[in-house]
Amino acid sequence: MQRLANERVIVQLGLLIVAVALYASTFQQSFSASDLAQSPMFFPRIILTLWIGLAVIALVQTIRADETQPVIASWPRIAIVIVAALIYCNIIASEGFFLPSVVFALVCLPAFGIRNPLLVVPFAILVPGALVLLFNHTLGMPLPTSRFTYLF
Amino acid sequence: MLSALPDAIAILLSFEGLLVLVLGTVLGIVLGAMPGIGSTVAVAIVLPFTLTMSQAPAIILLLAVYAGSVYGGSIAAILINTPGTPQSAATCLDGYPMAQRGDAGLALGWATVASVVGGLVSAVVLIFAAPQLAAFALQFGPIETFALILLGMTCIVSVSTGSVVKGLMAGMIGIFLSTVGGDPILGEMRFTFGNWQLFAGFNLLAVVIGVFALSEVFIRASASVNKVSELVAFNGVVLPSWQMWKGRFGNLAKSVAIGNVIGVLPGTGAATAAFISYAEGRRSSPNRDGFGKGEPDGIVSSEAANNAVTGGALVPTMALGIPGDAITAVMLATLTLHGITPGPRLVDDNPTLIAAIFAGFFVINLLLLPLGMLLSRVAAPILRVREAFMMTAIVILCAVGIYFVRGNPFDLLVMGGAGFVGFLLRRQGVPMAPLVIGMVLGPTLELTLRQGLILTDGSFVAFFTGHPIALVLAIAAVLALSLPLLRALLARRAS
Repeated sequence: MQRLANERVIVQLGLLIVAVALYASTFQQSFSASDLAQSPMFFPRIILTLWIGLAVIALVQTIRADETQPVIASWPRIAIVIVAALIYCNIIASEGFFLPSVVFALVCLPAFGIRNPLLVVPFAILVPGALVLLFNHTLGMPLPTSRFTYLF
Repeated sequence: MLSALPDAIAILLSFEGLLVLVLGTVLGIVLGAMPGIGSTVAVAIVLPFTLTMSQAPAIILLLAVYAGSVYGGSIAAILINTPGTPQSAATCLDGYPMAQRGDAGLALGWATVASVVGGLVSAVVLIFAAPQLAAFALQFGPIETFALILLGMTCIVSVSTGSVVKGLMAGMIGIFLSTVGGDPILGEMRFTFGNWQLFAGFNLLAVVIGVFALSEVFIRASASVNKVSELVAFNGVVLPSWQMWKGRFGNLAKSVAIGNVIGVLPGTGAATAAFISYAEGRRSSPNRDGFGKGEPDGIVSSEAANNAVTGGALVPTMALGIPGDAITAVMLATLTLHGITPGPRLVDDNPTLIAAIFAGFFVINLLLLPLGMLLSRVAAPILRVREAFMMTAIVILCAVGIYFVRGNPFDLLVMGGAGFVGFLLRRQGVPMAPLVIGMVLGPTLELTLRQGLILTDGSFVAFFTGHPIALVLAIAAVLALSLPLLRALLARRAS
């Protein structure tokens, strides 16, 4: 059971399911070309077939092999960094560049082990601030600004 | 191409040209010196900022970052025994013991001169070999180009560290991603599932930065936090005298040759070249007894070879449009983003651009000497910067870079998604270079396949019966694909 329910198998299985689902979706779309070779789905179907075949081989290899999974040193740290980065990427457009960047740095630096506020706070403000100054006010190539002010 | 040289020199001597030459080399050395960043991440971070530039300065900037970072990796290798880039791992073996003896400046001097010589010779090889290869490739029609791209795709096997199957699968994922959006012949939408943001497909740049730079941050976050390394005493670079070089020229020449040959082979890379050259130096150098104890020939073997790879790797990239590794794939991606189609016609269609790139690459390697000497002192304190600051800054810079290019928030989402998926896949041993190679070569592969089928009335067999070049390339592709698999199978049986 342990051999089947580990991260490697789940990811490989996920890749296989995605490929099969995409392959199935190619039959649900209709196109103007009647000639098989000129159908927009001709080439993707070849690639998806190869993807599925390789995914099956990789899955079998993963189940049969007794490979050790790279250890995650700290689950909270990786979770915080990934969630913070994904949220950060999501909200830049709506909340501007500066404020999300400051918050991201304030979250990310302690997660990486920098706890001294005298290091964290200046870095969190100065790096995004310098970039806003450079792009918005010097180069004239504006990064998104917040809903509170047009300055940053 | 020679007729385009005056225009190319004019580009290099313009303010923008000079600025990118110097700034790119400086950035490359500094980023390369930072352990954990590496050449690919360094090039990926800088890439978005090139999109506001004209074509030649953009590529030259990336080349400067590339060549500079390969050299910069040696600074960390010698001063803190941690290679800034994988290419410099072999430099640690003799560079650090020499630095511990109190000769850190001299060790960096050997590394600097060897890097410059390796880089300059590789630039000459690039200048002479690429146009010859490209001239031959001009005979290619869609069918030959299809076979060539097929051969290029087989380099996925050699860049697939760990598992060939996983590498090929990553290549297929990359090619599939390139099919999302408009069909190249009929223009009909595929795999957009009603989302208009996908009509133009996935932004190549967002995927490249996500899978290389952002996933690297996640990988670092999942590992133990590194402590700051101790620096050895260092008071600037000391160049070795002419007397010191006596008896070492043979080793230097051999290392440069190894680097160039390995560079031209797709998928081998600078780290492989450095270790092969180091092993050869250890076998044949008159000073082989001192290897591993701070022997200058050890540093020369590694550094001359890894910098010689840079030019060699660009030969198939520029002449045929086949990337040999992740960095040259990013270079090709940059050409695509600048509206240039990589492939056999690249040199013929863009003589000024190519002449500027080649001449610029030569100048970059010349600049490594003064800038390397100057920046080694500046870069040394940077080695003490904690990983947390670098990783946080990388995420912020990636976000700026991606938004800055098109001002499209969707690209940020693609980057975030690519970073997360890249992290998951890298943890399972799926390499990311094949994914990018697939995404870069995928559109040409599809277009030439379908054009070929139109030419042959739908007969795939006719691709090879009436086209001898295509047949030879296809056989080479099959061999390139099957030999490593066969070797792995035989090795498994033997064990």
